[in-house]
Amino acid sequence: MKVAPVLKGGLRIDVESSMDWMVLRCIPYDARGGGLDLADRVSAPMSGDEGIEDWRDYVLPDLRDDFNAQLAAIEAAVDTAGGDDEPAELFISKEDAELWYGGLNQARLALEERYDLSNAVLAEMTPGKRSAWFRSQFYLHVQSLLLTHVMR
Amino acid sequence: MSDTLTEIRESVSLDVPWNVVVHDDPVNLMGYVTWVLMKIFGYPENRAAAMMLEVHKRGRSIVWSGDREKSEFYAQQLQAHQLKTSLEKAE
Repeated sequence: MKVAPVLKGGLRIDVESSMDWMVLRCIPYDARGGGLDLADRVSAPMSGDEGIEDWRDYVLPDLRDDFNAQLAAIEAAVDTAGGDDEPAELFISKEDAELWYGGLNQARLALEERYDLSNAVLAEMTPGKRSAWFRSQFYLHVQSLLLTHVMR
Repeated sequence: MSDTLTEIRESVSLDVPWNVVVHDDPVNLMGYVTWVLMKIFGYPENRAAAMMLEVHKRGRSIVWSGDREKSEFYAQQLQAHQLKTSLEKAE
């Protein structure tokens, strides 16, 4: 898989194998795994505040909708581009960059919560954890490209 | 028949400003936190980067202070960008 910025302002992902497609399909899968409620997580510092019940009732549902929409859009983009698992190009436009960044962030957050990757030693990881670490590093790389070349 | 006496007391106090606080997180990229602060508040890059570094080093930074309604709006915006955020009354 190759990922690079394009002149018109987005990113192009050259997907070369069925393994590459699998990694891309893992983005929403990883993000939804582990039962992490991201809306709860980002509002956790408010948990002791007196207005937290209103925040839970009126704000968090909208946040959950936004986060779910990011994953649904990524899922649809990957399905549309790679229905037959053949090599193909997948474009992330400038307009969709934030959405992809957010979805990738959700996947990294969920993997971190599940595997505690930032405190793990690669050589001592189980195969499942090592696979999660590599996916997390790939997501991080795409995020860095989006941030540096597309969103700024 | 009894009369009802209604007494009205007026109490006026100044609105206490609210702080919007961003908290540290092991996953969010430093450049992303800076970018979000520039996008939401319109801060210049050096100011946003200084706040990001405070989050990174001290675990939290007050990124905006003002009236409650606006502080709630900003907190929601920051959380929508996946930054851990809280509100507190300014001391």
